[in-house]
Amino acid sequence: MKEASSITTRDRAEALAAALRGFPHAMGSELTADNIMEWVRVELGHAEILDGFRPRGPILSKANPPRTILHVVAGNTPNAALQSLTLGVLSGSHNLLKLPSAAPAVSEAVQSFLAALPASLSQSVECAVELPDAWFLSAGAVIVYGSDETVAHFRGRLRSWQKFIAHGHRLSFAIIFDAAISGLAAAAARDVSLFDQQGCLSPHTIYVAENEGGGARAFAGQIAVAMKEFNEHTPRLPIDAGAAQEIQHLRSSYAFRAANDSRVDLWQSEKSTDWTVIYEEEPQFAVSCLNRLVFVKPLPPLESLPEHLRLVRPHLSSVAIAPCSESHARLLMSLGVSRICAVGQSQMPTPFWHQDGQASLATLVDWIDLEGIKSEFRCSTKA
Amino acid sequence: MPRRPTSPTDAFDAERSALAKWIVAAMRAADLGDTEFNELALAVFRHQLRWNGAYARYVQSLGGEHVDHWTQIPAVSTDVFKWESLPLVCGSPEAARFRFRTSGTTGEARGTHYFHSLDVYDASIEFAWKKLGLPHLPLYSVTLAPADWPESSLGHMVGVLLRMLPEGGGCFIEKDGRLRADALRASLQVLSPDQPVLVLGTALAFLNWFEQMDADSDSSLTLPSGSVVMETGGYKGSGRVLEKPELYRLFERHLGVSADRIINEYSMTELSSQFYTEGTGRPHRGPSWARARVVNPETRSEVEIGERGYVEVVDLANVDSVLAIQTRDLAIRSERGGFELIGRDPGALPRGCSRAADELMRNAQ
Repeated sequence: MKEASSITTRDRAEALAAALRGFPHAMGSELTADNIMEWVRVELGHAEILDGFRPRGPILSKANPPRTILHVVAGNTPNAALQSLTLGVLSGSHNLLKLPSAAPAVSEAVQSFLAALPASLSQSVECAVELPDAWFLSAGAVIVYGSDETVAHFRGRLRSWQKFIAHGHRLSFAIIFDAAISGLAAAAARDVSLFDQQGCLSPHTIYVAENEGGGARAFAGQIAVAMKEFNEHTPRLPIDAGAAQEIQHLRSSYAFRAANDSRVDLWQSEKSTDWTVIYEEEPQFAVSCLNRLVFVKPLPPLESLPEHLRLVRPHLSSVAIAPCSESHARLLMSLGVSRICAVGQSQMPTPFWHQDGQASLATLVDWIDLEGIKSEFRCSTKA
Repeated sequence: MPRRPTSPTDAFDAERSALAKWIVAAMRAADLGDTEFNELALAVFRHQLRWNGAYARYVQSLGGEHVDHWTQIPAVSTDVFKWESLPLVCGSPEAARFRFRTSGTTGEARGTHYFHSLDVYDASIEFAWKKLGLPHLPLYSVTLAPADWPESSLGHMVGVLLRMLPEGGGCFIEKDGRLRADALRASLQVLSPDQPVLVLGTALAFLNWFEQMDADSDSSLTLPSGSVVMETGGYKGSGRVLEKPELYRLFERHLGVSADRIINEYSMTELSSQFYTEGTGRPHRGPSWARARVVNPETRSEVEIGERGYVEVVDLANVDSVLAIQTRDLAIRSERGGFELIGRDPGALPRGCSRAADELMRNAQ
């Protein structure tokens, strides 16, 4: 077993890539040691700059991770916990993970992930459900996933020397500019259905442009078929009575409206709450009650879209678009989203993703600079 | 010889009036048996299919016009009362002389329950009070006066109770929402120990009162022996919720009333009848003309006794709107039509990454 001090970024990248193979959705698809190294290079300027001094412009620099990171994760999906731990382990920090109290799926995923790491790395992670007081003070950085109250709670406890990275409530949506693109309904259904909308990348509302390729109502019918098919091969996880009742309540309300208003329509699973598609012409962004319930609406004129998103703007995360092109993306720069991706890829950001618009590794590290050293030294430090 | 109806309005008025008389007579008589309840429920359902166009279209869309048992009557969710463009009323909404509105929180649409007459509504309060053996005591109401609260169903109920119960007491919240704590304490302190009273209010109003008592040390009261407290739940918009045992300990500490002398009233603006329970851990029960079913949220069929689901109510007194109401409240089904509430409005509970959606909408206002 390697000494912790002799473990390089490459060693950690290889171990993490191997461990994450069991969690294909945690960090996006196709995660290899090489693209983890590339991620470090893109964020910090050199792939091995965590290991020692490396050239950085006219000087040498070394990135220093926090000695200890406290991760506070939410119970909605295991992915946030695995992403946060991946970041912490990759940086070489010691990691303290505060697990949610009633989320066995998160605890199980974390345990499986740690079991897949070599002991030299899994030993760098401690977990607890109850947050020990000493943990907070020992952390050089605090990463929090949770509600606005949770974020505010931890922000209020920070000392001046502690870094703080917060991931609060986030909502995502989709815009279909051309509904005639093949396979789009299945792709959109996958975006909605994966993780049962518990994650911040799950679309709540899908706007569909009305054009020759089709319209929102027809697309709503197509996505309903696709959500039914998705549910047949990937059933939704069980939900509690309160969550199911929320879906039924919303369904009943919209069924009533649909019976009285031709601008509303409803598709739903029979004798279960497995999936629900609500078509509504009202352009206001609609927030789903989660667990595979999505709103489909005609795309209003783009210049009016910011107004329809106004109430949720501070919380916007991703917009999935089809077709996914730079020209379409440019149209959406003022909406307040921090990620634009192709429909079907909502749930699979790459490690290069700026979550909530922030760099991850770059935000976490401090720097030591070494100036006035001749180029020979640079060569001698090269890996 | 009665005048023959000559217009749709006359026909509606005549049918509504006859139905209301039938319902009130049934309330006055002995408890409704299953057969009589079913007969009346189907009569009210047919009346509503005929005169409540929005509901009739909903029922038709479900293929549910052919109903032969009250449990098959399609229920509407309480949210439907919020859509102003679809007033949920038999006949014309303009002709409906009375309306109650839900309180609503910031940024939330308010629901409206229309009534052509409050004859059945008032009868439901009065006869349920008598049939369920609720206390016949002077009312000290920790609420606004009914005249200051014209669109509140609770305010109206307080008005009915003030007329029905022995004189004394009154309402102790000012129009501006300020609690007249000194006047309330003074009124209660002058009572002799053998003059029991009924003190009624929302849970939130009681909490505010108790906090004032705590701030003004040693101002707790001991109500006369035999007094009863009735709390109606309700923390809406306050962001505060207390578990029932904790709330009831506060009653004991501040008013000297033990849990078995505390009644919880369960109702809502969208209903016209009330359900009651005493103490903790006991099921709510209503009058024989309002029947609750606890329904599986996945299948929408009634759960077995001891299982949890959400509450649907068929309330014959909802004669002017829709008699079958789907609530947001979770409960455990008890024997003989009772239910034990396990949480009001569970949708308000946060879950998921985007969980406090309502709250963030509110914050963004």
